[in-house]
Amino acid sequence: MIKLAHNELIVLLLSISTMLIISRIFAELGKRFKLPVVMGELIVGIILGPTILGMLYPDIFLYLFPRTGNIPIALDGIFSLSVIMLLFVAGMEVQLSLVLKQGKVAVYTSMFSMIIPFFTGFAIAWFFPEIFSIPNELEPKLLFALFFGTALSISALPVIARILMDMNLFKTNIGMVIIASAMFNDLIGWLIFSFVLSLTNQTASDHFSIWYTILYIIGFGIFMLTIGKKIIDKTLPWMQTKLSWPGGVLSISLGICLLSAAFTEAIHIHAILGAFIAGIAFGDSVHLREQAREIIHQFVTNFFAPLFFVSIGLKVNFIENFDGMIVAIVLVLAYVGKVLGAYIGARLGGMSKNHSLAVGFGMNARGAMEIILGTLALNAGLISKPIFVALVIMALVTSLTSGPLMRKFID
Amino acid sequence: MDLSKLKKRPSYPFETIAVAISFSPRCQLVLAEAKRLSDVLGAALLLIHIGDKTAEKEQELDEMMSTIGVDPNHSRVIWMEGDPVDTILKLCKLNIVDLLVLGALEKENILKFYLGSIARNISRKAKCSVLLLTNPTDEPQKFKKIVVNGVENPKTIHTINTALYLAKNIKVKDVTIVNEVDVPGLAMAIADDSTAPQTKEIKKNFADESEETLQMILEKCDAGDVKVIDKVIKGKPGYAISKFSKDKKADLLVINSPDTHLNVFDRIFTHDIEYILADLPCNLLIVHSRL
Repeated sequence: MIKLAHNELIVLLLSISTMLIISRIFAELGKRFKLPVVMGELIVGIILGPTILGMLYPDIFLYLFPRTGNIPIALDGIFSLSVIMLLFVAGMEVQLSLVLKQGKVAVYTSMFSMIIPFFTGFAIAWFFPEIFSIPNELEPKLLFALFFGTALSISALPVIARILMDMNLFKTNIGMVIIASAMFNDLIGWLIFSFVLSLTNQTASDHFSIWYTILYIIGFGIFMLTIGKKIIDKTLPWMQTKLSWPGGVLSISLGICLLSAAFTEAIHIHAILGAFIAGIAFGDSVHLREQAREIIHQFVTNFFAPLFFVSIGLKVNFIENFDGMIVAIVLVLAYVGKVLGAYIGARLGGMSKNHSLAVGFGMNARGAMEIILGTLALNAGLISKPIFVALVIMALVTSLTSGPLMRKFID
Repeated sequence: MDLSKLKKRPSYPFETIAVAISFSPRCQLVLAEAKRLSDVLGAALLLIHIGDKTAEKEQELDEMMSTIGVDPNHSRVIWMEGDPVDTILKLCKLNIVDLLVLGALEKENILKFYLGSIARNISRKAKCSVLLLTNPTDEPQKFKKIVVNGVENPKTIHTINTALYLAKNIKVKDVTIVNEVDVPGLAMAIADDSTAPQTKEIKKNFADESEETLQMILEKCDAGDVKVIDKVIKGKPGYAISKFSKDKKADLLVINSPDTHLNVFDRIFTHDIEYILADLPCNLLIVHSRL
């Protein structure tokens, strides 16, 4: 078994502690200016990564984050675990019953806020692949178009939830419609994205297995959200009373998350889907105590999330890969597709013009979810670094502008 | 079908009470409960049987009515064939029924629950108030404790007033109005940048808001001499109040009628009334406000 050498272990621990401590300092500073925590974490990544530290003090950068040896492998394992955990907690907040409960306004809003940005993104990528430096060949063009449509249609539930809470809109009709629609968007978005990721691993002659992939994804989703959810629901009260509290629930829930992630990875769907669906099945249980839910969130959001978001800045040079035109196109498409889609949906559902626009801008926040999606696509070789940088910028800009723009149409 | 008389008709008083006659072993007990209610509330009694009309059934019903003491002059019997759910609902509309009384099991087997039993399907679709009796008895029901859902909804005021009307007439002294606090996504919203006091304050604010809303609703209600307690509980709507009613050993839970048309997906992704119907904590009154 390969083991980390004495020095390597020290460096690994140093790099993790540096990422955690500095990102927390930046997050706390950002809070004073009402900036999302993820922004502070990304900035720390940019500072510690090749963009700044790597350019000014390459020796220190390479000491903390070496490119060879066992440390990058260990860090990669931690980052993979981080993204799985992040998707698990994202899933934990998805309550599909909320969409049903909110009725047609939530159904229309979620459908249109997915369909319009998806097809806008898909069409632009399909007809103008050269803008994104994608070869004009069927397979790469189709994969990128599918990814780009998905990237534009996803929402960021954590950012949206925070904005609604700050604006005291959580329990209002608008707030509930936004939350319910964002939950539905996330579910469909991650299902499509998992499909796109699994296609990237297949060869052109592998068309037969595409249908298997679709079947596996749908089958797994249906199984986990019906039978799996019921099993968890039945066993959770036992776990919470018979096992040590809250350790027992923590171990079992995270264990189920990893088991589910391993299963989806084994059937050639990405591990994130398993984690996300396990999160929904687990988080939707009426028996999951509030304290357990909060502990899982705190643990993941304050340990795994900073490591993951800082790692993004470590991998990409944001200055070198900044392409103004791509950023502008991505931003325009993101705003037009999402705001228009959600607006149409909310109007069809019976909301007023102003409230429909508020719903549109509320749902426009992409935040951490977009960044996770972009990172996975970058790792899979689906997108180039300039597109990734544009997606990160779009995620931050939409998150920052979502609250103020919403306020305009609510007041 | 002229439904103009139904529109805007107040949810109480109950002027016509209907009871579904199924000739099941508990049928007589359900009829006895319906008769007692109609006596107390001064309502006309309507007996509905969906199925063929045979001499044996007629005789059995006559015997039941005479045992219970149902006055044929103050009651009517309707025999009709057809789909039980649709026919009962149609007859309730035609006869301007204010309250439909049905017997129901506390819990059904999983297949029946998803497919939907007659009583539960009627509860989901009815355009009048429905009383599901889980444990009808020969002895008069002693409703001692009533729990009412005080959710923020335009229907709630009518539901509470209907519960209070019932409480006054059947001499119930203990009525608890419950508002459930559930904020989906809250754990996620506060996870990364809220301090412990901030988190505590946010949660307190949500609870205070719910308390204020409940108070505002209660100010508009006429409780008379009924002792009304208000309570805010945490948890998923439907499940939390169901558990609360069970823990409190309530005799009757009173809730609003569903806001949307419910189907099998609402049972798979359970919410609100479906949590209650999945496992009835006690007798259940679903008030239809006819708004």
